[in-house]
Amino acid sequence: MRARVSSVLLVLVAVLLVALVPRPSRAFGEEGAFNPRILLTGTARWEGARTTGPARWSEELTRRTSAPARLSPTTVRADAPALLAEPFAIWGGEDDVPALTEREVLGIRRFLALGGVLFVDDFAPESGTFGKAARRELARVLPDGAPIPIGTENVLFRSFYLLRRAVGRVEGEPKLEAILRGGVPQVIFAKHDVLGALARAANGTHPFVVVPNGEPQREQAARLAVNVAMFVLCSNYKDDQVHAPFLMRRRASEPSP
Amino acid sequence: MTTSLAPSGDLAPSFQLLAALLTVLGIVLLAVELRRSRGSRIAAFATGSLASIGLLCAVLRPVAIQSKGSLVGPRVVVLADASRSIDLPGPAGKTRREEAARALGELAKHGAEVRLYGLAFGKGAPAPLTGALASGAAEGAAQGGAEGRLGQALLAARPMPRSDLAGAIESVARAADERPAAIVVISDGRLDRPGEAQAGEAIRAALGTLTVPVHAVSVATEAPRDASVRAVRAAGAAVAHQPLTLRVEIGCAGGLDCDEIPVSLRELRESGEPTVLASGKANASSGSATLELEVTLDRAGARILEVSIDAPDGDAVPDNDTRYMTIDVARDRVRVLHVAGRPTYDVRALRMWLKADASVDVVAFFILRTPTDDVVAPSEELALIPFPVDELFSEHLPSFDAVVLQDFNAAPYGLAKHLRSLSRYVDKGGGLIMVGGPDAFVPGNYAGTPLAEVLPVELDRGADAEGADVASFVPRTTEAGRAAPVLGPLRDLIGEQWPEMPGANVVGDARPGATVLLEHPTRRTPKGGPMPILALGEHGSGRTIALAIDGSHRLLFSAFAANAAGRAHGAFWDAMLGWLMRDPRFEPAVVELADGCIAGEDTTLTLRPLPGQKGDAKITIRKLGTGEEARALSARLDGKGEPLSLDAGKLQPGGYSATVEIVPSEAGAATSDGAASAQRGPTTRRDFACERGGDEWADTRPDPERLAAIAAATGGKSVTVDQIGSLPLPAATQIAAERRVSPLLPPWAWTLGAAMLVGAHWIVRRRGGLS
Repeated sequence: MRARVSSVLLVLVAVLLVALVPRPSRAFGEEGAFNPRILLTGTARWEGARTTGPARWSEELTRRTSAPARLSPTTVRADAPALLAEPFAIWGGEDDVPALTEREVLGIRRFLALGGVLFVDDFAPESGTFGKAARRELARVLPDGAPIPIGTENVLFRSFYLLRRAVGRVEGEPKLEAILRGGVPQVIFAKHDVLGALARAANGTHPFVVVPNGEPQREQAARLAVNVAMFVLCSNYKDDQVHAPFLMRRRASEPSP
Repeated sequence: MTTSLAPSGDLAPSFQLLAALLTVLGIVLLAVELRRSRGSRIAAFATGSLASIGLLCAVLRPVAIQSKGSLVGPRVVVLADASRSIDLPGPAGKTRREEAARALGELAKHGAEVRLYGLAFGKGAPAPLTGALASGAAEGAAQGGAEGRLGQALLAARPMPRSDLAGAIESVARAADERPAAIVVISDGRLDRPGEAQAGEAIRAALGTLTVPVHAVSVATEAPRDASVRAVRAAGAAVAHQPLTLRVEIGCAGGLDCDEIPVSLRELRESGEPTVLASGKANASSGSATLELEVTLDRAGARILEVSIDAPDGDAVPDNDTRYMTIDVARDRVRVLHVAGRPTYDVRALRMWLKADASVDVVAFFILRTPTDDVVAPSEELALIPFPVDELFSEHLPSFDAVVLQDFNAAPYGLAKHLRSLSRYVDKGGGLIMVGGPDAFVPGNYAGTPLAEVLPVELDRGADAEGADVASFVPRTTEAGRAAPVLGPLRDLIGEQWPEMPGANVVGDARPGATVLLEHPTRRTPKGGPMPILALGEHGSGRTIALAIDGSHRLLFSAFAANAAGRAHGAFWDAMLGWLMRDPRFEPAVVELADGCIAGEDTTLTLRPLPGQKGDAKITIRKLGTGEEARALSARLDGKGEPLSLDAGKLQPGGYSATVEIVPSEAGAATSDGAASAQRGPTTRRDFACERGGDEWADTRPDPERLAAIAAATGGKSVTVDQIGSLPLPAATQIAAERRVSPLLPPWAWTLGAAMLVGAHWIVRRRGGLS
């Protein structure tokens, strides 16, 4: 009995000591790292073949750029205070979504009010069911904001790569749509299943076939993802005057699509 | 005692006149009657006339008046020039001040019957030279004693930085006491007010309803042999980075050879020799010349410019060959160079704030790709441009007001070789902010470099130096941070509680003179004090900030930030950049020199603390260029925010910086526990210059014509000191003290006399056959 009490005390002391040790929740320097968090609403759960997509997004970002990224991205619920911890979230789905609760509307509204960027990815652009539902619900969050098409004239298409169009698992429309705030995209709508193109199994295979252009299109989808991340991290940096002449020359030398 | 007669003691003058008229009428009618009659007309006329006069006397009853009184001199205000120009050379080897003192003596002799009231004019209301002098014929002896006092008072009067005669006359005209009968001005005529043009009209306007003559006494008429910098004027407002034309007026008088006078314009620096900004030659053989020099000042704020001439031989007043000008350089927009080693949420937050502020012109360069990154694309498919490090940090660096190095490693991108020029940039007045991150401070290879010397914190240069502490912590506000206005806007939003930070760069102790506003709650520096997290420092003419965390974006985007709607981030960075740019809103106090600084004369600093500041203010005055400490002053702040006057004593000519450190009361109590880094309070600085001559000596020519114009416009007379005897001072007036009225005869005697004369006239008429 005495030995049992001693063991319990030992465990308690150990727990206490662990609690007193400063918590290295994130290493210094990772605090501002890009984190492609998945936004969950209602009773939705993050599961399926695309769950590897956010990690691949981070991996591609760190491999190709100097930007730090969270290699094990997290999920966040729309009504959770954690939504306000970082300025980026991905809202994706295939099907219709139930109406957002008032707490979720309020949470997303506060997130956007602080300057957060929401990337809405339609995993089933062929049907467009999720895209329509997301637009419907976001209209409740931002009654005054309406999505407009954005193309190569927008900084998002030159934040790292010079992109000629948007692609994902499907080629879809060349343009994205976005609700702008101060001329800068704040809610970005993609009808291309970008996470589907990025998803990769542990054995290195891709669970989704990219159509119609195969692997080159997957590469373009990765570049779009990198550009979105760089836009989130640098805002409209590439709109600065110092870059303008250079980018104009480079655009001019591109072959017409 | 004087005696006089009056026609009547009780009848009003109008009745007296009526009675006299009736008497005259009676005599005229008598004459007309006698002319028509025959007989003895002469006797009738004589007796009739006498009877009429007798009746008049009976009616009026004349009286004798005896009175006692004294002569009182009118009040004459003497305005003696006490400006600094009065110390310039005057006639016969004397100073103008000595000549003015002699004039006061002469005036006292000449104005023996007037009451002289001596005032010294210069700046503001004139100050009494001495008390009002009671004078008069009976008090001539006393006048002789007072004569010296006026002159001695002027000789001892402190020179004033201006010569405002118009203001002094306005003050005299509006005074509630006895109005003067005349004003006498003793001056060299080199006045600030009234100006050269229409001086007479200006003085008439200053007099208002007071219509008295203003006499003028010129204490000098000949200009000394002198070449000088008379004025330096900026053609428009000074804006950083934009060319500014300065008009330098060179004067030459007294017959000097001024065909080619070299002129140079330099900017005084915190340390080292002044920087030559422009130079030229002026031909002032006609008496004056204006030289236009174009300069470009890169740093905003108060800048001290030195304008000097190489005066020709024989210059009698060398003190005005060098002038100093404090020029406030404004910013059109604050130009900020924002350099980040990699894009992060912290970089994003700072960039968004910089871009959102319309008053900030930001040029940003972020390292988006390192040499080891695999972009999987040819360069033409990338929107990347080379980082122009050499161009930025050599050619364009002076064009920026501030540089922000955010999580930027100096080694891999070629910045290391520019760190010396970056430190010189700070030295010359530029602002620098180093923001933390894995590639800032020690990990960023700044330890042991010239840039580390300008940072407000020390960096460990050892090979095994620790770069970062990854333990989460909440920054703690120091006592200085609680008092510093620079954190005021942030305190208003979030109080003193900061959000948790995921770690910090390891930095050393705060450098001497630096102010620590935030500190680590547990980590200590090698000297044992809390590790600084946010430190502000001054180096040379510039300012630097060290922020050893990379999580200030949590003030913008976090559950914590949401409580203040994300405004805390903007409030924090607005204050950081504002402090760096010496925005008065973020200075802990304001230092002013109301009367400027004249070398060799007592200088008074006015310290205006913010209300609520309690503690000690330590003021250190250092010479620009050498950094030598000239004065160390202190004052106690009671929290009321009342301005404090501090005597800085006599300073030598040149530029100075007055640094004020506000040590809060609580911090003073904390000094015993070894919290070394938190002891220093927030600081502010004011640069100023001391001149030998100042404005009053810039133009040494006397101006007797201006004095003559003033006298002519007011009905006065303009004279030299030797001609004071010809001044038409007002005469004394007699004031009655006692008066006695007594009748010449009793009333019955007047009546009896009149009756007898009438009776005699009646007898004469009857004998002459008149009815």
